[in-house]
Amino acid sequence: MKSLLFGRFLLLLPWVLIVIIVLDIDSSRPPLPALAPRGGGGSGGARPAAGRAPPRQAPEAAVPTIYAITPTYSRPVQKAELTRLANTFRQVARLHWILVEDAAARSELVSRFVAGAGLPCTHLHVPTPRRYKRPGLPRATEQRNAGLAWLRQRHQHLPPPQSGVLFFADDDNTYSLELFQEMRTTRKVSVWPVGLVGGRRYERPVVENGKVVGWYTGWRADRPFAIDMAGFAVSLQVILSHPKAVFKRRGSQPGMQESDFLKQITTVEELEPKANNCTKVLVWHTRTEKVNLANEPKYHLDTVSIEV
Amino acid sequence: MGNEELWVQSVLEMPKRRDILAIVLIVLPWTLLITVWHQSTIAPLLAVHKDDGGDSRRDLAAGLDSKEYCLSDRDIVEVVRTEYVYTRPPPWSDTLPTIHVITPTYSRPVQKAELTRLANTLLHVPNLHWILVEDSQRRTALITRLLRDTGLNYTHLNVETPRNYKLRGDMRDPRIPRGTMQRNLALRWLRETFNKNNSQPGIVYFADDDNTYSLELFEEMRSTRKVSVWPVAFVGGLRYESPKVNAAGKVYGWKTVFDPHRPFAIDMAGFAVNLRLILQRSQAYFKLRGVKGGYQESSLLRELVTLNDLEPKAANCTKILVWHTRTEKPVLVNEGKKGFTDPNVEI
Repeated sequence: MKSLLFGRFLLLLPWVLIVIIVLDIDSSRPPLPALAPRGGGGSGGARPAAGRAPPRQAPEAAVPTIYAITPTYSRPVQKAELTRLANTFRQVARLHWILVEDAAARSELVSRFVAGAGLPCTHLHVPTPRRYKRPGLPRATEQRNAGLAWLRQRHQHLPPPQSGVLFFADDDNTYSLELFQEMRTTRKVSVWPVGLVGGRRYERPVVENGKVVGWYTGWRADRPFAIDMAGFAVSLQVILSHPKAVFKRRGSQPGMQESDFLKQITTVEELEPKANNCTKVLVWHTRTEKVNLANEPKYHLDTVSIEV
Repeated sequence: MGNEELWVQSVLEMPKRRDILAIVLIVLPWTLLITVWHQSTIAPLLAVHKDDGGDSRRDLAAGLDSKEYCLSDRDIVEVVRTEYVYTRPPPWSDTLPTIHVITPTYSRPVQKAELTRLANTLLHVPNLHWILVEDSQRRTALITRLLRDTGLNYTHLNVETPRNYKLRGDMRDPRIPRGTMQRNLALRWLRETFNKNNSQPGIVYFADDDNTYSLELFEEMRSTRKVSVWPVAFVGGLRYESPKVNAAGKVYGWKTVFDPHRPFAIDMAGFAVNLRLILQRSQAYFKLRGVKGGYQESSLLRELVTLNDLEPKAANCTKILVWHTRTEKPVLVNEGKKGFTDPNVEI
């Protein structure tokens, strides 16, 4: 009798386990991670619900979101630049794009673009005062600060530590996909080389024993942080814990924007070198030529109005 | 031998059958359990791997799972990321025509940047085959590594433009269009590789490495039967140049300021050709010598098609899906004559 019962038990056990697991998989579908609230026109491309949810939720939730703050302004190549930037960003998991227009109101072009962008996108706008639009003055200060303000406001009621990494992505630079891999592990502030900047093939932080000890740059190496805007990323928690850290206008010299910002939130010793101890170029400071529109008529002559 | 023994025999056999049944009943669920457990590690990666454009790529947790995903065809050995693996292109479809993108390229400081962002765009497009042709004596390590790391379906060719054909300095000499020999080599490769009788459907498109392409463009050109055309931004000194399309949906002229009377007043980025046509007209190439400025495209197209056969795309040529952007030459004045930075650091 005993052996019969034992045999029956052994027989039933695995089946019971299977039933339990199947039920578990069905019910433990992870809730869709809250996509960031969309401002402006909103963006398409909502994440489709996974057909078969993974039983483990930890890997999904643990991936920090990358926030890319991109100031942009209206000129002929704007839509082209944003298009190819979006094509790159859409290859990156969990990237939230914060697009800030230098304009008094949201433009139709960017609103339409954001609606069809295919990734989570926040559309902000703030105009640069005319007195700051002189050559030699730093550009996009107000726009980057608007992006920072939005991030701070969004996270103000949430308890620390907030995971997330933020970087400043100008709309004409070129980013390799590997860069996003590298910056995602930022704990405080990470740095890496930038190609085609400072009058040189590349600029980079000089690294010894895993720490930044100097700067390899062609222009004003005496700056406290001799790095380009595209050469660093900051963890969201650092931004939130330094609520007064913004890009300054008053008293800032040309080329000191990055330094003035970084010295408010970190020191050189704290910097985390990425890209194989700052020996690989994963981002390039490309610039797009001004377009030749010499043959455009003075007044609109065409029968249709086409957006470029 | 009596009934007794028969009965004993059958009794002996029955327990055997029952034992076998019991063993099966025990083994089966354990095998099922193990398969389910295995599946639960692979399934989430396959489940999110859907052909819906860029969304599925976002679902893959960067790095860690993308390596697993890439290895899902073979055994999953280790989930430790040792080397970054680029996101793969969308899975190959048996029903979509292949788009063969021909890109001539040459070495200069922004080359790797241009090809990187072009690859980032091409990675979105299903059934894409990238034919990259270097203007060099031999295939360079930079391009070889770049192509391999993208994960795209590619062919790497090279042919060096003879020195007397190359552009001198920055002056654009319209008699020697850049990239001609490279494009012709790609056409020749296509004709040698594909048999015109039983080749799969394909579209041929010439994509320069500094232009900007929207993803919609590739889907528009996929339905090309002979030669399709569309507007291109920032060419000919205009916001855009475009074919003129009449009410019947036929191209009858060209909306350009620069020489609108060319047979095909269109930029290289403004048309695509069905592969079958390339294979049928096997002698059609870009003319190398004696081509007037702006006539290069015509030198090929007039051997392939007439104006009447052109198929207008992009909503009857009213939408801009490709921009002829050009990248500034970077200022490298601080490199000096001998070069300052480490030449081993690749840019």
